[in-house]
Amino acid sequence: MTALPVQLPLLLRALREPAAMAAFSEREWDLLLRQALASNLAATLGLLAEEAGVLAALPARVGRRLGWARTVWERHLQAVDFELRQIKRALAGTGLPLILLKGGAYATAGLPAGAGRLFSDIDILVPKEQLADVESLLMLHGWAGTHHDAYDQRYYREWMHELPPMQHMRRASVIDVHHAILPETAAARPDPARLRAAARPIPGQEGVYTLAPCDMVLHSAVHLFSEGEYHHGLRDLFDLHRLLCHFGAEPGFWAALPARARELELARPLCYALRYCTRLLGTPVPAAVLDAARAGAPHAALQALMDALFLRALQPPHPSCADAFDGAARAALYIRGNWLRMPPLMLSRHLLHKAFLSPKAEPAR
Amino acid sequence: MLTLASLGPRELRARLRGPGLRLQTGPFVTCVQSPLALLADTLAAMYADYPVLEEGGVADFHVRLSGSNGLRRLVRPQVHFHYDGMAPFQPLPLAQAFPMFEWAMNWCVSSQANSWLVIHAAVIEKSGLAAILPAPPGSGKSTLCAALVNRGWRLLSDELTLVRLDDGRVDPLPRPVSLKNASISILRDYAPEAAFTRPVADTVKGTVAHMRASSESVARAQETAMPAWIVFPKWQAGAPATLTPVPQARAHMRLAENAFNYSLLGETGFQAVARLAEQVRTFDFEYSVLDDAIAVFEQLLRERA
Amino acid sequence: MSSLPIWRLVPGQRLVHRCHDGECVLFNDLTGDTHLLEEAVVALLQALHAAPGPAAILAGSDGLPEADPDLLDELDEVLADLAALSLVEALPC
Repeated sequence: MTALPVQLPLLLRALREPAAMAAFSEREWDLLLRQALASNLAATLGLLAEEAGVLAALPARVGRRLGWARTVWERHLQAVDFELRQIKRALAGTGLPLILLKGGAYATAGLPAGAGRLFSDIDILVPKEQLADVESLLMLHGWAGTHHDAYDQRYYREWMHELPPMQHMRRASVIDVHHAILPETAAARPDPARLRAAARPIPGQEGVYTLAPCDMVLHSAVHLFSEGEYHHGLRDLFDLHRLLCHFGAEPGFWAALPARARELELARPLCYALRYCTRLLGTPVPAAVLDAARAGAPHAALQALMDALFLRALQPPHPSCADAFDGAARAALYIRGNWLRMPPLMLSRHLLHKAFLSPKAEPAR
Repeated sequence: MLTLASLGPRELRARLRGPGLRLQTGPFVTCVQSPLALLADTLAAMYADYPVLEEGGVADFHVRLSGSNGLRRLVRPQVHFHYDGMAPFQPLPLAQAFPMFEWAMNWCVSSQANSWLVIHAAVIEKSGLAAILPAPPGSGKSTLCAALVNRGWRLLSDELTLVRLDDGRVDPLPRPVSLKNASISILRDYAPEAAFTRPVADTVKGTVAHMRASSESVARAQETAMPAWIVFPKWQAGAPATLTPVPQARAHMRLAENAFNYSLLGETGFQAVARLAEQVRTFDFEYSVLDDAIAVFEQLLRERA
Repeated sequence: MSSLPIWRLVPGQRLVHRCHDGECVLFNDLTGDTHLLEEAVVALLQALHAAPGPAAILAGSDGLPEADPDLLDELDEVLADLAALSLVEALPC
């Protein structure tokens, strides 16, 4: 069994037990803030502290700093709201339910997983047969295709499970249109029709849906453990943790989860998800569910390797944490694009900086 | 209270090379790390009066300016800016280390300090009243600001005006005033007793130098001021010093355009700018002779009394 | 001027604004944009807030400056511009 680092990074301790933040020293807070910023979790941390009733007890400079991040998130929510309206309008003619995935779903449904969470694109799920219609309607309403070179186009349309991201010409916002949650080329083929059939309406949002709770968890697990991008590893793991904590309170959820995973051919990602959530974040998963999920575990040697990789990858991507990411991965930690009509985290719109300091090119998506 | 000067050169370098120098500027604490002797020397000259804090506290920003590695050090060496492990900007020639530090410090505030409305503007104070000077580069704002602070006005900031969201007052952020090209010699003549860095040539903005903020402005960095005027300056060869009133709604739009986080602040930003536009007199200002310009500001102050 | 379509404020639009000397700044709390508008245009928006209607009826509303012939003539165009700014929308009749 691979052991966890002897002393969990501060950020993990804070996420596991938000009330503990009240007891951190200023020295610890200095480091924790940096870890949180590097992991894109500063806004979340502030909201967790508030929820745990300890925000007022934190050092003033910390409270102020967390407040800066919260302002960004609040503005983000407004932008998401508006963007959703525009998408609804554009696709009204299709008669399709608007099924939101990932961050957009958490935010719109007001889930705990949405608290403090920033994301750069809105993701939706549509039937493959309707892909062309959806694409043309979006284009009619101002979204333009991206990734125009032939290889990229093929990459997305033939091999992946989504259209190339579409960017709005005026607002610069981006929408990702998925027809499945895993690429055509993946070994597992979770049936998108089943996902769509189980989708749940969002109260107060006519025609807008999220995936069913089990499916949302499984999608999040798949996204984290299959797609190979770990810049937001800890953030994504925390999503899973919050989803599990929230839906864990719904009757029947735990019983249904392992079965649904098998049905969708996602037993392996579920196994990893539960394993690393419980070990890193202390997620309260019933023992019976862990047992059932172990059916999806890889054999021991592979498990040990995965432990070594994931336990490293899911640490805060900050120099202070052992086995931190290389520079390239760390540098990718920011919200892409200008889609909120404001400068991205790393860029200032104004002449002051553009004129003198040249931003580095964004890494490839 | 410990100042940078009281550390002495050895301790200063030790902190910069090691755990970081924790420097207070206005409301912010920045942890600065750098092995570069050039930067250490310039910090000692430009930030002598500023408070430094002990290790173990909370810093708002963590910045590192480092040199090149390996062979690059010998051939056209560079300075790299790292913001807590991330490198958001291209490196610059090593000689530009101090300008890069100043721009990096500005970037930290302008991109993140969302508990204020942050306006790209100089701001100065006299008799408790603040004049805000927004301007795109090239309008002569820094020259005018530098002149005013050498004729009895207190420097609150050269680049970043921090407007509090609760009461609309300005929080000072006194830091070295940046000057370009011809302005450098103009100010040297205008304020012979002021301290300047050695000019750095061949930057994207031409030749750049910085003028030290007065000890008084640093000592009074906790003293807020109430905005009374917004003046959009424009240096125009041969122009007599002339103020032209700007209608309030237009003042709002122009302020918003010059604020880094106006959109980000949403309705709060709108209300903050609306309040500001309402409470001040706003002008476009043309001038060519610095003394004439100063006289106009003095006249504004008298009218207010 | 057409009698169709019916115009209304985009639902949820609060018309946060300030006016001075015939010019107004308006914050669109749905898009986050800020606009510089003539006072007459804000009066038009407020008329729509009170009651949706076709352009012809709006032209006769209280609050719209009586003798502003330019505005009335260009009402359709103004409404289309405001729609592009996501301040108003047209309902099909």
